[in-house]
Amino acid sequence: MNRLSFSPEGGRGWRRALLLALAGFLLTVGGAKAVSAAWYPAKAVVAQILLAHSFEQGLASGTAIRPWPWADASAVARLTADRLGESDIVLSGGSGEAMAFGPAEFPTRHGRHVTLLGAHRETHFAWMRELEVGDELTLERVDGSVARFEVTALQTVEWDRFALPSKPRAEMLLLATCFPFDAHQPGPLRRVAWARRIA
Amino acid sequence: MRRTVYAPTLFRFLATLLILLFAAGFWSFAGAQESAEEQPGGLMLRAKGSTTELPAVRLGTDIKAEVSGQVARVTVTQAFRNTSDEWMEATYLYPLPENGAVDTLKMVVGERIIIGRIKPREEAREIYEEAMEKGQKAGLVEQHRPNLFRNSVANIGPGETVLVQIEFQAPVRQVEGRYELRLPLVAGLRYVPPHTITGTAAVKDALDVNAPIAHPSISKDLNPVSISVALAPGFAPTNIDSPYHDIAISRTAQTARVELGRGEVPANRDFVLRWETEGSTPKVGLFRQSFDGEEYVMATITPPTPTTREKMPPREMIFVIDNSGSMAGESMPAARRSLVYALSTLRPEDRFNIIRFDDSMTMLHSDAVQATPRNVSHARRYAENLEAQGGTNMLPALRAALRDNDPQGKAIRQIIFLTDGGLSNEREMMGEISTSLGRSRVFMVGIGSAPNSHLMRRMAEAGRGTFTHVGRDGEAESEMRRMLNRLSKPVVTQLAVSVSGNGLDLTPRVLPDLYAGEPLVLLGRTAKLSGRLTVTGLVGKQRWSNTLDLDEAQESGSVARLWARRRISDIEAQRWSYQIDGTEADSQVEALGMQFHIVTDRTSLVAVDETPSRPEGQRLTREELPLLLPAGWDFDHLFGQQLSASHAVPPSEAEEGEQLDLPRGSLPFRSALFQGLLLMLLGLLALLWSRRMRVA
Repeated sequence: MNRLSFSPEGGRGWRRALLLALAGFLLTVGGAKAVSAAWYPAKAVVAQILLAHSFEQGLASGTAIRPWPWADASAVARLTADRLGESDIVLSGGSGEAMAFGPAEFPTRHGRHVTLLGAHRETHFAWMRELEVGDELTLERVDGSVARFEVTALQTVEWDRFALPSKPRAEMLLLATCFPFDAHQPGPLRRVAWARRIA
Repeated sequence: MRRTVYAPTLFRFLATLLILLFAAGFWSFAGAQESAEEQPGGLMLRAKGSTTELPAVRLGTDIKAEVSGQVARVTVTQAFRNTSDEWMEATYLYPLPENGAVDTLKMVVGERIIIGRIKPREEAREIYEEAMEKGQKAGLVEQHRPNLFRNSVANIGPGETVLVQIEFQAPVRQVEGRYELRLPLVAGLRYVPPHTITGTAAVKDALDVNAPIAHPSISKDLNPVSISVALAPGFAPTNIDSPYHDIAISRTAQTARVELGRGEVPANRDFVLRWETEGSTPKVGLFRQSFDGEEYVMATITPPTPTTREKMPPREMIFVIDNSGSMAGESMPAARRSLVYALSTLRPEDRFNIIRFDDSMTMLHSDAVQATPRNVSHARRYAENLEAQGGTNMLPALRAALRDNDPQGKAIRQIIFLTDGGLSNEREMMGEISTSLGRSRVFMVGIGSAPNSHLMRRMAEAGRGTFTHVGRDGEAESEMRRMLNRLSKPVVTQLAVSVSGNGLDLTPRVLPDLYAGEPLVLLGRTAKLSGRLTVTGLVGKQRWSNTLDLDEAQESGSVARLWARRRISDIEAQRWSYQIDGTEADSQVEALGMQFHIVTDRTSLVAVDETPSRPEGQRLTREELPLLLPAGWDFDHLFGQQLSASHAVPPSEAEEGEQLDLPRGSLPFRSALFQGLLLMLLGLLALLWSRRMRVA
């Protein structure tokens, strides 16, 4: 008997253990990856529920209230796309971080005269794909003011090549998200909806 | 009133969940925020895009052209009317004929006329800006391309109108007995290929060659133009015709006066005036001028059209068709139709290929194929299905077209481009052609209402071919037939010029090949004009020569400047074929510009009204006037959906629009989720397999 060879039984057991370890490893890594990826949409949905709550509170009190104690952004407005039946709570703060929870308002030089809202194409602004010129948008601010806008143009532009008229005459609302909608990787293109105040 | 809202259990649960989510995923997401944003070259470019706001300064243009003999002298008056209550600076980008020489700038302020002076480009800009700061009225004419200029006017008072008048001369083109004066009225959008953005100078250039486009909703009554042409060609003109505009003609025996039929037209397409002669076309035209102590001569010589009935030997024809976004609208059907017609003229013994390009390119076949009925009908279907989309990256298509698998071949190889030329890297094209032309010849068909004629002329010149225009769908067959006929006739080659008496400093330095019916236009400079000029060449296989007596030349006031302008084209050709370096070319161009008082890319005209007009402390607002979209272009296509980015909807400076960086609105979680699930699936398979092993 050759003592150097493994027995068939022993060899199989060894390989099975290896395979089990591999399976465990793949399941762990894949699971972790899937779960961490799934955080984003989950967070986006959950946060909106909390934000709606906080916005209602804010509306009642007349000032913006932080949706959770450690938040550095607050719910400042509700954006509604009437035809599409979509509605989102808008966060202040103008940061990419806030966009994980909802559309965020980014400051412009024109204050309220030009409102720029940004959100992710996969979550809160997924409906921008369906948006058309002529659609009406309603922006209800936490101070109780309600402004209605009409979409006048849709534009696709690189993120750093976008310009506003230096002296816009009508009050404007700009919605921005990434483009194309189906892309998996972030790119330089942005989809912008221009809307002009009508009421 | 304060409303109390009770937090339900769900709410508390969600809050707890959110804490977990926040802790787990949030920071990794924030960290991934910045990637992919830094596009090379994209940093300083800003969309000029389109505007829906009427400009504060309104522009009206009047063009008066006088054609005498073979030269047009044109006066363009632009009225800048400030409708706002602010002090304004306005700039306007406009095209001129690609071989025109601008020599005069006058600025009219109220009763006063201020005459512009020629200065090196940077100095002119400094003079202008200093005057602007001091509150003085100032005007500046700068050249961005040989056919693209920009006027700037500073300190136009509230409610005030300032007139800026420029004058230029341009030769009239003559082909097969048809004379043509082409006055471009609007600059089409120029695509700036990303690879050309190499530094701040390139960024500035990209900004310079584009302007914001007026949205169709405001374009009515914007930028109106009136045109009148006094025609004195030296013979009785017949068949006077303007293919794209309504005209009214009043005439005497030897002259004619042409006005627009309806007074004013929008500045949205080239104005073209054509005429012919009753009898036979004059074979020779000779003009002279004394300037700065030297003598200049312009000679136009038309070789005889060959009469041989010999059959054209087999040819290889490469068609290159532009299907970029700027072709959307009426240009694409015109291009398709031109190509389909050209395909129908192929004979079975010819070989051919089609290359289409936007910011990508496709070759129909990897190499030219025989023009069998099957191949031709396949190509025809391909051509008919081309759609306009994307940017205009012509260089790869040009390289592919110039790649010749049989460079020693005897067959004639003709490359025919169908494009509007809406690009900013003209020099790269010319450079490529001058280094790799080989036996190929390049022909240009300028498509649409506002083609870049500078590109057409220079690519054809560098490629020893010729060019034509197809302004609209309906002209496709007739114009293509004219050009293809000329291409199928023997060419006048090996042209040479000799002069007796004093030597002549001639331009063009490299004499072209001439296609049937084309004249040779020579411009020369000498100390004392006398003696004879002899042109020889081969018409098909026959030797041909023509001798002119230089003493018989007629006086003309434009010859010297046309010589200078043509010489500058020679210098540019030497620059892009790397015979001289950029600095040397710049200094030669600057010297010519200064000596002949003409605008070049190194010299500008500047006029300053010494009397200050804007009171100190009053703000000056800058505005870049929007251009009309060329007729037949598809606004929605350009600015609505597809393009913008790919057509580099061109950049603007802070003056006309406030630039705004857009937030990144994407969460790349889908691919991560997919990868994770895939890994888990693999893990499950491994698990199942291990179980099976145990069972076995």
